[in-house]
Order: sequence, then C-alpha cells, then structure tokens
Amino acid sequence: MSLAEVAAAIIGWPPVWQVLVIGFLGSLVIAVLAVWFERKAAARVQRRLGPYWASPRLGGLLHLIADMVRYAFQYPIIPRTVDLIPFLAAPIAGMVIALLPLAVVPFTSNPAYWPLPPSAMEYSLLIALAIVTLPPIFIIAAGWASNNPFAVIGGVREAFIIVAYELIAILGFLGAAASTGTFNLVAIVEAQGGIMWLAILNPLAFLAAFIAIVMSTSAFPFEIPESEPEVVAGPFTEYSGLLYALNMGGAYMRRFALSIILALTFLGGWYPLVPGEGLLMGYILPSVVVVVKAVIVVLAISFLRAVYGRYRLDQALDLAWKILLPMALAGIALGLFEASIGLT
Amino acid sequence: MAPRIGLKSLEKRRTLIDGVRSNLHVLAIGVKYFVNPRRMTLVYPKEYPRLSEGYRGFIILEKKKCISCAACARICPSAAMKMIRVMEPDPKHPEKPRMKQYPVINYQRCIFCGYCVDVCPTEALYHVNYHDVVYDNLAEMFWDLDTFQKEPEYKTALEGRPVRIMVHEELGLIKVPVGEGG
Repeated sequence: MSLAEVAAAIIGWPPVWQVLVIGFLGSLVIAVLAVWFERKAAARVQRRLGPYWASPRLGGLLHLIADMVRYAFQYPIIPRTVDLIPFLAAPIAGMVIALLPLAVVPFTSNPAYWPLPPSAMEYSLLIALAIVTLPPIFIIAAGWASNNPFAVIGGVREAFIIVAYELIAILGFLGAAASTGTFNLVAIVEAQGGIMWLAILNPLAFLAAFIAIVMSTSAFPFEIPESEPEVVAGPFTEYSGLLYALNMGGAYMRRFALSIILALTFLGGWYPLVPGEGLLMGYILPSVVVVVKAVIVVLAISFLRAVYGRYRLDQALDLAWKILLPMALAGIALGLFEASIGLT
Repeated sequence: MAPRIGLKSLEKRRTLIDGVRSNLHVLAIGVKYFVNPRRMTLVYPKEYPRLSEGYRGFIILEKKKCISCAACARICPSAAMKMIRVMEPDPKHPEKPRMKQYPVINYQRCIFCGYCVDVCPTEALYHVNYHDVVYDNLAEMFWDLDTFQKEPEYKTALEGRPVRIMVHEELGLIKVPVGEGG
C-alpha cells in the first residue's frame, strides 16, 4: 500500500473528509460568499452600491479576496499585557471546534458513508449539539486573555448571551427529535421524506432554532458582543492580522456548521434527492444538496443585517427568556402532539 | 413658573402580536428593496453631476475687461486673490511700456465664495461650472496671470457621462442622464 493510497484513505474517511473538505474549505468559500452577500444585500436595501471597484463585472467579489489576502499578510501585533498562550490558542481552538460537529452529522442515508458506526449514529443529533456548545467558551477565553476592558466587557456580554441562546438552540433542535421520536439524524431526515419538512410541521421549533443560530453567531440583530460603536470589537479588540481573521471566520464557520444541522433536522436534509449506491449518488450529490440548503440559511441570516438594528443586551435577553424559551418548549409539545397523532 | 400637576400615563405595552407584526413589516420592506433596488450612488468617475450654469466653480479672468481696481483682492475673505504688477505695452504710446495691476489667485486658499465675481465692476471675472480638477502638487495651485485666463481642462467630462440629480416625488433622489429630459 503506497503512501498516496494511505493519504487518500485518510482524506476519504467520512469524518475527515467532512471536517476538512466540506467544513474547512467549504466554509472558507462560504464565508467569503456570505460576507460579500451581506455587504451587497445591505447596500441594495439601503440604496447604495456596496463593494464595486475591485471587480466591477463580478460585483466587487474580489474585494473580499483582497481583504483575506490583507489579513493573511498583516503584521499581527500581540500586546505585552496579554496572557500569551490562551490569547493565541483561543481563536485557533475556537475555529477548529466550531467545525467538529461536521464530523458526526450524516450527509447521506447510505450506511457505507456514515461518519459514525450505526450504533453511535443513533445519538448523532445529541453528539452534534454537545459539540456545538463548546466554541463560545473560547470567545470568552479570548476576551479574558486579551486583558483589555473592551475585550472583557465583550466576553461578559458573550457569556450573558450564551446562557440565553444555548438552551433555546438545544430545545429547538430537540423539537425535531420530539416530532420523530429519535436522535438519529438519518432517521430524522428520512421521516421528513419529500415535502413533509419539519420546518412546516413544527414551525415553532424551527423558528426557535433559527433565532438561536442567529444569536449564537452574533449575526445582526444580536451582534451584541462585538458591537462596534459600544465595545470596539468586543472580545477581539486586541487581535490583528490573521488571528482576527480566524476569530471572524470562526463565527462564520460555526454559523455554517449549525446551518447544516438545521438543514438536516428541519429542511429535509438530502431530499428531494434519494441517495443510492456508489460514491457519486450515495455521498457527493446528497452532501451537495445539504450544503446548498445550509448556504441558503447562511445567506438568509446575512440578509438580516440589511434591515435590523442592534438589540441592547437586556432586550436580547428579554426576547430570549420570555418569548423564545416558551416557544421552544411549545415546539417540543407540538412535536410530541404530532408524533402522538401519527403525523410524522 | 409654578410646577404644573398632571397625570403621566405609561406608554401602552407592546404585545407579542405587535412585535411579530413589526418584525414582519421590516422584513417585507427589506425584501421589497432587495428585489427592486433604487440605488442613488453616483459612480463618480464613470458618471458625474452636470452642474447648472450659476455654479460657483473655478474663477477665470478676462484680462481685457480688467480695470485694475483691486476690488476683488480687497473683498476676498480668505486672502486668496492678490494684485500683482506687470509691465505691458501701453496701447496709446506703443513705444513706452506701462505698469498695470492684475489679480492672480491661490487655489490653496480659495473658498469659492464668489465675492470677487460679484464685486467686479466690469465683469472681468466669471465662474466655470465645474470644480473637480486635480493637481499634482501645491505649487500648481498658485495660478499666475497666464493660467488665470485659461479655463482648466475638465478631464472628468472626457471619461464619464453627465447625469443630473433630481428629486422624484415617489422615488426620492434619482439620477437622470443629461439629454433625456434632464
């Protein structure tokens, strides 16, 4: 067995393939696309033009590539007062762990291409949700290690937001489990079959999960930890260069990973495509369908920047605890009711 | 003034229905503009605003009309205009040169207020209707007497197309290409 075959076998192993190729490379492309769409959509709605001059034919898409190149070659300034190891480790660990949920979600119903053995697949939704809750810790760690008042305030705001959205996100996703009576993501997708998407059957849980994703990745109405006019860049105030890009990219990667879970649980997964045998029909095309659905969710979240202002911290917590938490619980109740009358 | 006693009423509490309705409303407005954008950005070098004739742009001297009264230099609030003395042939005695005063201008200081044009008794100074001329260095912005008599080249007009910015009753600010009912 040659080295190339070993390397191909490692890359081709579903968890590695999903984290490295779909997760890392895919979310790099999608982060560029989402930032570009965010700026262009906000510009369209606010009667401006948005990025333009870098490439007028492409609508300024190369502007974002230029931004990435600038971040990559910028001199990273590390202040003397920071706690060095957490300061450097937090953005990297946050970004890597943000992608880890992709190592456990299935992109196909063909058991040959599941990332987990079938017995562990029974709990794939729970495992994915458990990993999803990890990355915010590193945002707080980044703020704390920066040793800067703005960064500490940003980290504390993030901590306030975490306790609000984490419960809603998990309860919202568990609404899908309540509807279908299983934690197996494959079974959840197959229960939705064709058109019976859980987003239609259980809109309360879907809305709760969607808003929790918006809150968790500080997309616009809840961009509270990093709000520019109040705390310079929140936990990322002291970061510059590539480390700042990792921090910002980490939010987009987390949004992408959560959107994939949302696409699987509520938006019908790989349907309308029915996975068959072979690599192309069994794995690649279904994963393309899932990723396209996730990208639509990411772009919908990006569009919110165009119309919403920023909530105050207390307003966001008010919304989360008084409205969204009861809504997520009602979603679970609705799912149980639907399951009991045999709708799903 | 004596304090007035009155009843203060609390603002009516917003219900959940109001919140949902206002969120849907703002999303509908966003989608409406996203589908049908009404952009008003002026893509500047590609299109430039055609300004009206009365616009106070660069100031040009017609040397023949100048009577050397120095009213322009005296009224200039930013001291951009100064009189200089030049030797020139006298039309009555061609063999004998005479000394005459003419204004010159420093565009580093000029604020384009147009007082000099207004005060000139013989209308020797006039405005051109453009403003966007680029200089490589500050020294070029001192205009000597020869430069002061020539209108500067309007390079924007060579590249871009002129538009006129107007107010529409429904659409707000709009751009109309000049020549199409502008």
